[in-house]
Amino acid sequence: MKFASFAERAAAMEAEPADLETVALVSDLFAAAEDDLAVVARFVQGRVFPAWDERTLDVGPSTCYTAIARAAGPNVDADDVEARVAEVGEVGAVAEEYEFGGQTGLGAFGAGGGGDDRTVASVYEDLVALASTEGAGSESAKVDRLFGLFNESERREARYLARLVLAEMRIGVGEGTVRDAIADAFDVPVDAVERALQVSNDYGLVAETAREEGEGGVAAMDLEVGRPVQPMLAQAGTASDALAEWGTAAVETKFDGARVQVHWDGEEVSVYSRNMEDVTDALPEVGEFVREHCDAPAILDGEVVAVADDGEPLPFQQVLRRFRRKHDVAQARERVTVELRAFDCLHAGGDDLLDVPLRERYDRLRETIDAGVGDLLLTDDPDVVAAHEADALAAGHEGIMLKDPESTYSPGKRGQNWLKRKPDVETLDCVVVGAEWGEGRRANLFGTFHIAVRDGDDHLPVGKVATGITDEELAELTERLEQHVATQSGRDVTFEPAVVFEVGYEEIQTSPTYESGYALRFPRFVSVRDDKAPADADSLTRLERLAESQ
Amino acid sequence: MFKAIVSAETLKTTLDSVSVLVDECKVHLDEDGIEIRAVDPANVGMVDLRLSAEAFESYEADGGVIGVNLSRLEDIAGMADSGQLVELELDEETRKLHIQIDGLEYTLALIDPDSIRQEPDIPDLDLSAEVVIEGKDINRAVKASDMVSDHIALGVDASDELFYVDAEGDTDDVHLELTTEQLIDLQAGDARSLFSLDYLKDMNKAIPADAEVTLELGEEFPLKIKFPIAEGQGSVLFVLAPRIQSD
Repeated sequence: MKFASFAERAAAMEAEPADLETVALVSDLFAAAEDDLAVVARFVQGRVFPAWDERTLDVGPSTCYTAIARAAGPNVDADDVEARVAEVGEVGAVAEEYEFGGQTGLGAFGAGGGGDDRTVASVYEDLVALASTEGAGSESAKVDRLFGLFNESERREARYLARLVLAEMRIGVGEGTVRDAIADAFDVPVDAVERALQVSNDYGLVAETAREEGEGGVAAMDLEVGRPVQPMLAQAGTASDALAEWGTAAVETKFDGARVQVHWDGEEVSVYSRNMEDVTDALPEVGEFVREHCDAPAILDGEVVAVADDGEPLPFQQVLRRFRRKHDVAQARERVTVELRAFDCLHAGGDDLLDVPLRERYDRLRETIDAGVGDLLLTDDPDVVAAHEADALAAGHEGIMLKDPESTYSPGKRGQNWLKRKPDVETLDCVVVGAEWGEGRRANLFGTFHIAVRDGDDHLPVGKVATGITDEELAELTERLEQHVATQSGRDVTFEPAVVFEVGYEEIQTSPTYESGYALRFPRFVSVRDDKAPADADSLTRLERLAESQ
Repeated sequence: MFKAIVSAETLKTTLDSVSVLVDECKVHLDEDGIEIRAVDPANVGMVDLRLSAEAFESYEADGGVIGVNLSRLEDIAGMADSGQLVELELDEETRKLHIQIDGLEYTLALIDPDSIRQEPDIPDLDLSAEVVIEGKDINRAVKASDMVSDHIALGVDASDELFYVDAEGDTDDVHLELTTEQLIDLQAGDARSLFSLDYLKDMNKAIPADAEVTLELGEEFPLKIKFPIAEGQGSVLFVLAPRIQSD
């Protein structure tokens, strides 16, 4: 297919306001795409590569503007293009304004290559070459290639080329449109297409399979070890709803980690993030662990958590530090160790398990890997759920997950089958470390209390609490705290740690003001935790975790 | 089979002449020397480089082709001082190039030549004018033009027997004329073509200031730039396609 005719069809889609008509246009495009079907199925979504593919163009707006400017010449520079984009609002319309092609090619003078009409396939090839450009000078090499592409573009081609390169097609074609168009063009039920997209994450492959092999071929598409799929997602929900709906709920500890999908084919372990980025190299211990403990082939769903030397969980941000690391992985690993907590199994021993109920998948998970699997508790008793949650929180985890034990695994779907249960009201138990004497009527009472969290033996301030306290309580607190005054300076007092407040708040903010690095927004006094000694107050670690999870 | 010793300076000059256009290239290891021919991704500029066996301290080859990542090889060559010698030896088994510089050994993985863009044909052009000029004068023309514009017109006025350069910017212009006295040689015929300075600037980087450079020009035709390297034991030919002159 000529790239010009792809651009013409894209323009028709952009002009079409009705969803159904757009599906029909995309369907027509697919029916006419011939050898370019896989590529156009991605191009209409502004994608060059399948979602599971690691390759990216890695072209930013400024690179694109520079290439457009060079092709537009004479004397147009990237700033001119950028200024037009700011005025017009998007790059496609700006690219379309210029007349390209001022630079002739050597092909026109008998030097071989070039001269042919541009096709979808040749644009794709150029973009593949662009994506493989790396290392020193790659930025200018990218500009050179893009310049070549724009230089050969007619106005309408340039409009969609610019958008494609910057991954924003703006033609009203989303994933659902493409799904429906594949179903329509090749006469395959939408459900079958949907399922095939879930297991393959590859619109091009599904479109080709639908065309070549019809419904049977699409239905037979399977997971492939080494090709990540989107993880199943959870909604927020309550235990009572879950039990009412399902009768029995599967309860598991929600680890405070980062979601990963592990693929193990017996030769290689690959670890993918929630966004299907390959993070294998950043987390070598996950690979080592899976090699040692897991049968192949397998696809596991789980979390990686950071653990301290004593096995205690560390805050989520410690995991992220490992996740994003490309260099000096070994050193990072010495500082923070991560561990896998697998909770689901999508594939084991040659069987795809997406359509198998959770309780069976969990059994397969247990059979496949002999360590690193969290417990799955089946119960119909709300008290058992509550107890499990209390245990999980006490152990420093984030909370619990509630899942329908009979539910199948739906990649990429945020459905009712997985519920994320979090504590209803977050409060912190803080040590009172100081106060300020009140004014006027309250001059002989403490007014504002300075509160802190534990960090080892230290207490690090997180804010001041003054609201929510009745006059009566204030009098009682003053009498009690006066015995613990450590220093006094003007109206300010400090205390020896003795009293613990339960404090409510709206939000935890990072703050340079307090030593803890955090400040509570709108802190309010809830109660005095007489049952807690200062040593039992909340730690900086929990504060960090709460801050990360909000 | 390929085994050669070459001065670091000659190696760097060779690589620089090609790397201004492409990141990777095929190198033909012929019995009497090497040849590299490549065209940039937009098919606008090409290079044809020859370096004869005499340019090397020693040279043995029997006609193979290797694919080379130029910036990698340039980095390695950059480890040598200009007076030093670089030993190159191809390992046919592993398809790797062993490079030795004064005790430093580097093993360079080569690229499959089939994965590299096809080599262009050298266009057979009948160009009306030929100018022989010193490298530093080209540098001067390119530098001045770059101050005002991103395009440069090169021309020959047959009746006045002069070579000229025009660069028109949004506000400022540059004009440069060189007569037969300032040129080394001129075979005059009317010629004028417009070129992208982006390309010409890159090519200019590879032209030694003291080189005798031959320019061939036509009316709205590609420009040929020829100059010797390695004390005349090698040569570089650049061919650059023109821009359409809109006004």
